[in-house]
Amino acid sequence: MFIAMKPHATEAEFAAVVEKVRSLGLTPHPISGTERRVVAVVGNTGAVDPEDFSMLPGVAEAMRVSQPFKLVSREVKDEDTVVDVNGVQVGGKGIVVMAGPCSVESEEQILSAAEAVKKAGASFLRGGAYKPRTSPYEFQGLREEGLRLLALARERTGLPVVTEVMSTETVPLVAQYADVLQVGARNMQNYSLLERLGQVKKPVMLKRGLSATIREWLMAAEYIVAKGNPNVMLCERGIRTFETMTRNTLDINAVPVVKALSHLPVIVDPSHGIGLRRHVPAIARAAIAAGADGIIIEVHPRPEKALSDGHQSLDFAEFEELMRQARVIALAIGRPVR
Amino acid sequence: MLVVMKPHATPADVAAVEAKIRSLGLVPHSISGAQRVAIGITGNKGALDPALFEGMPGVRDAIRVSQPFKLVSREVKAEDTVIDVGGVSIGGARIAVVAGPCSVESREQLLEAARAVKQAGATFLRGGAYKPRTSPYEFQGLAEEGLKLLALAREETGLKVVTEAMDAETLPLVAEYADVVQIGARNMQNFSLLKRLGTIGKPVLLKRGPSATVREWLMAAEYVVSHGNARVALCERGIRTFETATRNTLDLNAVPLLKSLTHLPVVVDPSHGVGLRAFVPAMARAGIAAGADGLIVEVHPCPERALSDGQQSLTPAEFASLMEQVRVIAGAVGRPF
Repeated sequence: MFIAMKPHATEAEFAAVVEKVRSLGLTPHPISGTERRVVAVVGNTGAVDPEDFSMLPGVAEAMRVSQPFKLVSREVKDEDTVVDVNGVQVGGKGIVVMAGPCSVESEEQILSAAEAVKKAGASFLRGGAYKPRTSPYEFQGLREEGLRLLALARERTGLPVVTEVMSTETVPLVAQYADVLQVGARNMQNYSLLERLGQVKKPVMLKRGLSATIREWLMAAEYIVAKGNPNVMLCERGIRTFETMTRNTLDINAVPVVKALSHLPVIVDPSHGIGLRRHVPAIARAAIAAGADGIIIEVHPRPEKALSDGHQSLDFAEFEELMRQARVIALAIGRPVR
Repeated sequence: MLVVMKPHATPADVAAVEAKIRSLGLVPHSISGAQRVAIGITGNKGALDPALFEGMPGVRDAIRVSQPFKLVSREVKAEDTVIDVGGVSIGGARIAVVAGPCSVESREQLLEAARAVKQAGATFLRGGAYKPRTSPYEFQGLAEEGLKLLALAREETGLKVVTEAMDAETLPLVAEYADVVQIGARNMQNFSLLKRLGTIGKPVLLKRGPSATVREWLMAAEYVVSHGNARVALCERGIRTFETATRNTLDLNAVPLLKSLTHLPVVVDPSHGVGLRAFVPAMARAGIAAGADGLIVEVHPCPERALSDGQQSLTPAEFASLMEQVRVIAGAVGRPF
């Protein structure tokens, strides 16, 4: 259920609504928009009559939310959420580009990648220190050493860092270094991790699970927001289908659908979405044309030598060309690349 | 195998290679490019020895084609195929737009739709006269009466007609009226029908099956081309996945992938691909940005009254807005529209 206040409702009226929600054993989530304030009510609201709230002073309306996701839905908050990361805005008018290697491999590798993607116009550096690899025998990441190298790259370039956190145990450590905490596709429904991320003060980028429906994905985001962290961005990275010529099937349908259902920013990962280096730029263009708020691209100084995902990583020249194409499409739909 | 002729090979050189192929009991398929002629060979059981052709006059090279699809592959023909449909093309630089109702329902409905899509800039009219409906109790189409109405709409607007043929029995009738014969997703592997398309002399729009891989789809196109009809365009219309929020999952990965594997034009159907009217324009933009050669969009004068696919059909005003958005994206990727 959500309770929308009148535009000129007083603080006291607002506080009275919040108090009444608590007195019923439910949890209030105040959401401030530019037009009006809303109190989303979470808990077992089945026995509560919205009429009990709509009669209170300062209340414009109280109604049930028809979707199973509440706090992340457009019904509850009509305006786009803009996540501010060290001054870079994700989900606003501008389109953000996150780029960097799949894994942090060495100081030389991450610094040269960071400098190159910065020069080409990226606004975030990506790079994995903890790697969820399919095989336990493959490179698992440099862990804390990788996080330190990411921090060094940030210091040199000023790029905020997006990096994955794989377990609840490492959340504090990763949060200490990262600017955006990424939840990988395989952890999309790791609810213990999601709840833990609801308590950190850093933004979260939630990748879509390989076989997760849009509804399940939004419910996963709801876990994080319900636990107290509203700074969530969603990342479509391709789903599992019968097609074998591409690594995944990027579900670009999800972009306009999620933008209609939710106020959260939507990022697209063409690198994992198609998994073939030469086709990454075409899919990046398509994502921006479909309305994505950003893209995340794997870039490596020498893709053929990469310890992971080399076949889908771009070299520096290819990334520069992708950026040029992305700018042209962004311009065409009236959105600058930031 | 593919026999590649030298740029200055004479017609007699080509004829000699073709005769040699026939003498081996195989079928030659000559493919003329801007620079040179290549001759695809089909019908062989195992690998052929390149030495059979390499010494012949005018022959530059004899190469094995690594893909299971041969005549439709880029290995065999590097240049894009451009299908000329009475002066309007599918493939090539210009984006082709096909629009119209899912089904032909009445004279008024079709003419109103045709005028509206023409005015908004479409060059082809779509409309089903034979409808492959999931339920046998739903509207099955007006059959020949629908074809006649399509011909009438063409006469009035000048739009070329794209309409579906569902079986070999009605194919000759459909081909008589249509400018482009569409093969629906459910018939993508109706091999008897595909073989018959080789002989109709009309271009074919081959939709992807809901659970067909890109490779299977190209093999289906190979059926049509190897039976004598090289004018085939492919249409991505969404595949079956676990997602239920959308009717299908439009596989735009397939667009750049196909453009690298085949020389055939690729058209995208955002209406079926997402299945929800509100999201059709976004997916149309994405299709063009990914490199599609054309779009096919469902438009109905009054979608809420449509006998089929109303939930994914645009009103004429919505279609005009889609065209504006697509024009901008086409400009951004450097393609005239």
